[in-house]
Order: sequence, then C-alpha cells, then structure tokens
Amino acid sequence: MKRLRQFANAVAALLMFVMFATFILQVVIRYSARLEWIAEAIPLLDPARFGWTLEFCLALWVWLVFLGNAFVVRDQDHVTFDILYMAVGPRLRRLFVILGGLAICITFIMSIQPTWERFYILRLKKTATLSELFGSWIRMRHIYSVYILFLVAVVIRYLYYVWNAIRKGVPTPAPLSPHHGEGRLDQ
Amino acid sequence: MSIAFFLCLAALFIIAAIGTPIGYAIIVSSIVYLLAKGQSVGIAGKTLMDGLYQSFILLAVPLFIVAANIMNAGTITDRLLRFCVALVGRFRGGLGHVNVISSLIFSGMSGSAVADAAGIGKIIIDMMTRSGQYPRGYAAAITAASATIGPIIPPSIPMVLYALVSNTSIGYLFLGGIMPGLFMGVVLMIMNAWIASRRGFTLEEPIPLKEFPRLTVNAFPALLMPVILLYGIYGGVTTPTEAAAVAAAYALVLAAVFYRSLSLKAFYNILVESARSSAAIGLVIGGALILNYVVASENIPNRMAQALAGLEVSPLLFILGVNVLLLILGCVLDATTIILVIIPLFIPTCIHLGIDLVHFGVVAVVNCMIGLITPPYGILLFVINAVTRIPLGEIISEIWLFLAILIAALLAMILFPDIVLWLPKQFGYKPL
Repeated sequence: MKRLRQFANAVAALLMFVMFATFILQVVIRYSARLEWIAEAIPLLDPARFGWTLEFCLALWVWLVFLGNAFVVRDQDHVTFDILYMAVGPRLRRLFVILGGLAICITFIMSIQPTWERFYILRLKKTATLSELFGSWIRMRHIYSVYILFLVAVVIRYLYYVWNAIRKGVPTPAPLSPHHGEGRLDQ
Repeated sequence: MSIAFFLCLAALFIIAAIGTPIGYAIIVSSIVYLLAKGQSVGIAGKTLMDGLYQSFILLAVPLFIVAANIMNAGTITDRLLRFCVALVGRFRGGLGHVNVISSLIFSGMSGSAVADAAGIGKIIIDMMTRSGQYPRGYAAAITAASATIGPIIPPSIPMVLYALVSNTSIGYLFLGGIMPGLFMGVVLMIMNAWIASRRGFTLEEPIPLKEFPRLTVNAFPALLMPVILLYGIYGGVTTPTEAAAVAAAYALVLAAVFYRSLSLKAFYNILVESARSSAAIGLVIGGALILNYVVASENIPNRMAQALAGLEVSPLLFILGVNVLLLILGCVLDATTIILVIIPLFIPTCIHLGIDLVHFGVVAVVNCMIGLITPPYGILLFVINAVTRIPLGEIISEIWLFLAILIAALLAMILFPDIVLWLPKQFGYKPL
C-alpha cells in the first residue's frame, strides 16, 4: 500500500514537472522562432514542430486533476466545509461520514455507464494537435477516459471509508482539524 | 425554481454541510439534478471534462502553486525579509511595518495568501515574538491581515478563477489589483503605527545604514521577480499563464543555482505537494463548471437580474448588498467556493446594471480575502495557528482592528471605483 502511494506520488510529480517544462519550452520556442538560423541549424527546434504544447498541457492538467484526486489527494487536502463536522459528537460524525460516503458511491456508480456512453462518440473525435506528438491513433476518448478511472477509484476509496466507519467508527479530529491542510495554496 | 433544481440545491447543502469535500458534493448534486430532470447522468462528466479541457487560463493555477512552493522552500523569503528589516525596521512598530512591506513584495511574486502566511509570515512572527517586544497574538494578527494582500497584487490565483467564471480579461484584473493592494498595505501600516505608539511597543535595534547596500544586493534577484512577471504580461512577452511558468522557473533558478538552497529531494517534494493542492482545487473548479451548467440551464442569473431590475435597485446599492452578503458568507465559506460558486450568480445582474466587471471582480476578490481572516472560519487564522502554534483565541482577539480597517478600505474601493480602475484605464481599458 505504501509502495503504491509512493508510485502515485511520483506519477503526479512527473505530470506536474512535464507540464511546467512544456510551458517553458513553449516560451523558449516562441522566441527562438524569431531567429531563423536556429531552426535551420537544429531541425529539432523548428517551431513548426511545436504546435502541440498548449493542448498537451491541458491534457496533463486534466490527468493531474483526476489521477490526483483518485490516488494522491489526502482527505485533509480537500476544500471542505467542516464547521458542523467539527462541532458534533463522535456518533453523529460517524453518521456524517457514512452518509456522505454512500451518497458519493451511489451516484458515482450510477454515472459510470452513462458517462462512458457519452464518451463513446469521442472515439472518433481527433484531438486538435496531439497527433503531432503521439501519432495518429490518439482520440479525445483516450484523454477523457481518465475520468472513468477517477469515478471507479473514488467509489472504491469511499466504500473503504464507509466500511471503516461502520466497523471502527471515525477518529476524533485533532483540535486543529486535519481538514485545514497547510498545503492549500489556492487562496 | 424547478423541483429538480431544488433537489440539487438541497443535496448540495446537505452533503457539503456534513463535511464531504465540496468538489464531490457538487458532482453528486448535479447527478441528482440530472436524474430528477430525466436527462442522462453522463452529462455531468462530459460537461466537467469539456470545461476543464477548454480553459487555458486555468493552467496558471498549478504553475503559480509551484512557484509559491519553491519560493517558500528556498531561502528567497529570508533574504527578502532581511532587506525589509533594514528598510523599515527602525521605526516604532518596526517589525509590524516589515511584516506589511514584506507581504507587499511577496504578493508581487506569489498569488496565494496562504503561501504568504505560511512562508514569510511564519519567519516574521518568530522574529516579532523572539524577545517579547510584541504580544504573539498581535504578531499573528498583523501577519494574517497583511497576507490578505497576496492575491490582490498580481499574480493572483483567485483572480484567475474570477476571470474564468466572468470572462473578464486577466491582464486588466491583475492591473486593477495593484492600487488596491498598495492601498491595503498603507492602511495596515497606519493602523500598525497607531497601535504601536498607543501600546508603546519597544523600538528595534536599527540595522546600520552601511549594511543596507549589501542586504539590497543580496535580495535584489528576488526583488526582480515582480518586475519580470509584470513586464512579461504587459510587455506582451508571455501570456499570464506562461508568466506563471516563467515565475516558477525563475524561482527555481534562484533557489537552486543562485542561492543554492534547494536540493533535488526538496524539489521533488515541492512537485508532489503542488500536484496535491492543484488536484484538490481542480476538483472544485470542475465542480463549479458543472454547477454553472445547471444554473445556466435553469436560467437563474437572468431571472435574478430581471427580479432585481423590477425592484429598481441602484448599482451602488446592489454592489454594497453583494459585498455585505460576501462578507457574511466569508465567515463560514472558503474563498475558492465563493468565487467559483456564488459570484457567477451575480454577474448577469452586474452587466444588466452597468457595473464594470473588472471593478466588481477586484472588489469581490478583496472581499473574499478579508473573508480569510474573519472568525470563525478564516483559513489564514488556521494556517498561522498550525505553523506557529499560537492559540486561535489570542489571534482572534487581536484581529478586530485590522479587520475593521480592511473593511473600511474595501468600502473605499466600492465607493471610488477609480482606486481599482485608474491603472487599467492607463493601459487602454474602457470600463462600462
């Protein structure tokens, strides 16, 4: 389990790094494009080869969000409204975890099949620019498929939480709740 | 309001209220909506993916998070702080001024108030409380208050989110934030000077002036960062999103090569940490995109605009009312949730009433940042409490005066739109 977690972290870090590097590449290429001798001297840096950078970053971002939430984001990292959760006693808190978890599991399971149907048509739709990078086989469905993986993983994760809550109850959150991660930098 | 929409809202409020992550609560409630409408549940996932896959400006969010993390991990913040101490440390309430000035500079480098409080804020609280010149609650309170400037002065993650939901130019929003940010800095320093002299805080040992050039040189590369960012965006060199990547790259070069304070291991941890925060916020953004779809298909914002038009509310009254509401919501909700979920409801009314969206956006972001320090639910208070172990009660008892002066500053920005709009106008912005 620990190994798996480390692996997931490494994948997330890699996605993040590649995205960062691609952006830098995009800026560099834009300015090296003005100097024509660069493209002539080093054919690999020909700006015509780099139409894919923006869409590639978007694909990385989407994968980062859904793989991240499936495997890397911890409970305390989530944006949560927890005033009520923190204020109630352990029995009610346990009920909260069970209810919330079940709501997620039931609706997500219901949505897996219809979502896949919606994505089915995308098996035909080509991406705007990614064929340049990956070859002509790539379709929008390949990119969107991560959402299905996300649905399945989140269902398993919350089934596990619910099961744990039913069997053992939920731990009392520390006075400084784990819900206020220090890592949230979005505000 | 249709029954489906009512069920959707009920599901959202109940599921979010019991502590389920907001992003999941939104997805669940949108599925409830689609079920009640008899539409395909698959629309939720499709809308979410389409939305995330189309919004280029959103890519700035993860990149600004990486940049902020790198700056906090390296010694960049320490150097800035030493420079600020040399600059304003000699006056009464000196370290309080240092606190505000360093926040102002840091806010030109990072787009996050939390990064500001957890990074530079923690160090300066240690300095302020080390020899007992300042009560620790006061040190924490002024840090929290000055950290709110972080996302007002560009770059700014909340403004990127606002640009997404309002279709406003990110460049003009960023410009619009500069004067309000400086204004907030000034009022906080005035408040600090007043409190320091009234309570008789002891003076610091001034740093000799001959040290000043050395400290400036030391901090200079870091001080250059805001300049590079702003020049990149307004000189047309980079898009705002690319500027975020350039900021991260610059911070990386500074920390790793120039100051030699960042190991490979530390960099890896930064990437994991940034991926985590980005994914968590990405989920809420995705949720907001679905919710916007639901709200739009119910035609809610237009109906609201019509209802308000019928009441003949004046623009000023409307914007004041919205701000009071946002301040109240800010006591219990997260800034991200407010910007992504609540604010889009008001935008059609703003357009209808002829309120400028850049003015509205900057004011709303300032408001949400004030919400970060309003008890009982103020993220900045929690973060400072977490990194310094100063009890929440002590921080809260010292925060009120700062809160009051910031709200007064907000009111000034509402009543005098030119505080926000003057600078964008100089760059060719034509307000409504």
